Amino acid sequence: MRLKLTHTRYVLFVLWICLLFVAPTPSFAKQKPEAPGLELARQAVKTGKKPTTADHSQFKALQQAFTSGPEISKACISCHTKAAEQLKETLHWTWLDPNSPKDNVKGKAGYSLNNFCISANGMHDHHCNECHIGWNTEGKKTEIDCLRCHGQKKINWEEVFEDYRYFTESEDPEENALAKDAQAEIQEAAQSVGYPTRTNCGSCHFFGGGGDGVKHGDLDSSLINPNRELDVHMGYDGQDFDCVRCHTTVAHKVAGRIYGTPASDTRQSLLEHDLEAKIMCESCHSDNPHHSNSKMNDHTDKVACQSCHVPEFAKVLPVQVWWDWSQAGKKKDGKPYDVKGPFDKPVYQSGRGETKWEKNVIPKYFWFNGSIQGVTAKDIIDPSKPVKLAWPVGDRSDKNARIFPFHVHQGKQPYDIENKTMAAPLLSGEHGYWATFDWQDSIQRGADYLNLPFSGKIGFVETGYVFPSTHMVAPKEEALECNQCHTRPESRLANLTGFYMPGRDRVNVVDIAGWVIVLCSFGGIVLHALGRIFANGRKREE
Amino acid sequence: MLKRLVTILTVVLFVFTAASFGFAGEKGNARKGKYTYKNIYKACNERGEIDSPRPVLNPDSKTQAQWTRVFEKKDFAEFKCSEEWSKLSDNDLNDIYTYLYSYAADSPSPAKCK
Repeated sequence: MRLKLTHTRYVLFVLWICLLFVAPTPSFAKQKPEAPGLELARQAVKTGKKPTTADHSQFKALQQAFTSGPEISKACISCHTKAAEQLKETLHWTWLDPNSPKDNVKGKAGYSLNNFCISANGMHDHHCNECHIGWNTEGKKTEIDCLRCHGQKKINWEEVFEDYRYFTESEDPEENALAKDAQAEIQEAAQSVGYPTRTNCGSCHFFGGGGDGVKHGDLDSSLINPNRELDVHMGYDGQDFDCVRCHTTVAHKVAGRIYGTPASDTRQSLLEHDLEAKIMCESCHSDNPHHSNSKMNDHTDKVACQSCHVPEFAKVLPVQVWWDWSQAGKKKDGKPYDVKGPFDKPVYQSGRGETKWEKNVIPKYFWFNGSIQGVTAKDIIDPSKPVKLAWPVGDRSDKNARIFPFHVHQGKQPYDIENKTMAAPLLSGEHGYWATFDWQDSIQRGADYLNLPFSGKIGFVETGYVFPSTHMVAPKEEALECNQCHTRPESRLANLTGFYMPGRDRVNVVDIAGWVIVLCSFGGIVLHALGRIFANGRKREE
Repeated sequence: MLKRLVTILTVVLFVFTAASFGFAGEKGNARKGKYTYKNIYKACNERGEIDSPRPVLNPDSKTQAQWTRVFEKKDFAEFKCSEEWSKLSDNDLNDIYTYLYSYAADSPSPAKCK
């Protein structure tokens, strides 16, 4: 008997030990597999970064003494013979939307306006031209600057060429000797080329509107070296994508929206069409990205992925949300002045007016078919209400439209009272508003550059300008919960009307009918229960 | 007695003013200073003391007053690469000072060594 007991204890002990090892196994086995969309995307980007096949420091063309930027570009083009021709066809060079009407062409070089620095005055504003990919601020009157997008070394070109010229021309032998150091810097930078990095693209796109985070909200310098929390795709501890990983490029044409022209007219995955640009979420994640039994897959035809996966923007740096030009021009003791406010950002500048900034901004949601409609300097406006300078196109009946998140930048800016057109003042340069503080003169000069009439009567009108929020994609754990939209009264989609959304909307007749059914059912149960109780009682009495 | 004291004070003041004049008064060649400064670190990097050929301190690392104090004291320990710094002439030092001072944090155009 004693032996038997010991034996039983031994067996139990071994079983417990086995259980300790075995117990976690079922939980591993039951671990939820990755969502199909995530698995597909991992396959689509499996190869990592593109390897380079050339060491540019070995090329004779890049070993010559360069005295100016265009000379470097000529050296690039001597091998990449079609590059300049290709680039000059693209929006990055033309600053024009090829699909807009010929008599009212859109683009910074056309009649487009915004509510930041308002207009590039047909590329006559040299301040705006700093972001044009040429070697100077003369717009298209120069050679393309290949290194703006492909240069891997940060360098002040203007300064280093000036240094080189100075040392070469100096009669002091000591200074003369330094010319080779300046030239060495030039050559090192000219030979350091590669695929465009986030720093290359960001040097303009993160600083649009005249400063860091002024324009987009989902694009600012925090994306130069972001972590996964900020953007799952670009995070160094995530996929570490450069911009061109999704903005795929063919013959220098970078995939993306061009004013009214959508980034893509299809939402195909790379499985359906392997040469499709990766610009849409569906390109890698498919249009059924969630688990097969997930209700979320039923949303993808009407709700863009970004609506849930970009729950907020301006997560690290603030974004400008308001720019009131009507307040510009004030002076203190006869001098222009600046006032800084929250986030150490300017809230007033004499040359710019009043601005407001916000952080962790919740987007506004609109139906969007991929096209943005803009008001140009030629269009007639209705100044009695805010002018939608750039606004998403689409509604619920549009089969290509989905609910999409946006950053809406608002402000006040000048317009021509008599002609009922938006004004396009010249801002920079010795005759620009920033130097003269004279609206009449700067608007007249801007109008002259665009060959447009100006009555001389100026008013200020409120405007709105939208940017689709598509970067700063949050980790899936931080995506929106159902009850952030399917709720009342604080649904994120409260402004979207004309359709029934469970949880957010109510139809009184249906509500009343539902309650009647519930009450009738309850009444029926009560009556049935009472009937049984009384019937049983009688039986017992019998 | 008072006359002697005033004379001594005047001489002392003159000596101090003359000593600091080299950095606070006489302007060097900022352009030349920039390349001399960068060359210190290229040489130092080749020698193996530092891992990068980029200067340890950028012009915008200090204010103009701070740069003046550093060069008045001639205390360059913070810059590392003492071997290269010890070989610099007074003119070189003045050029470097002018470069750093001109692009200091509180200057009109603060700069980094790109």
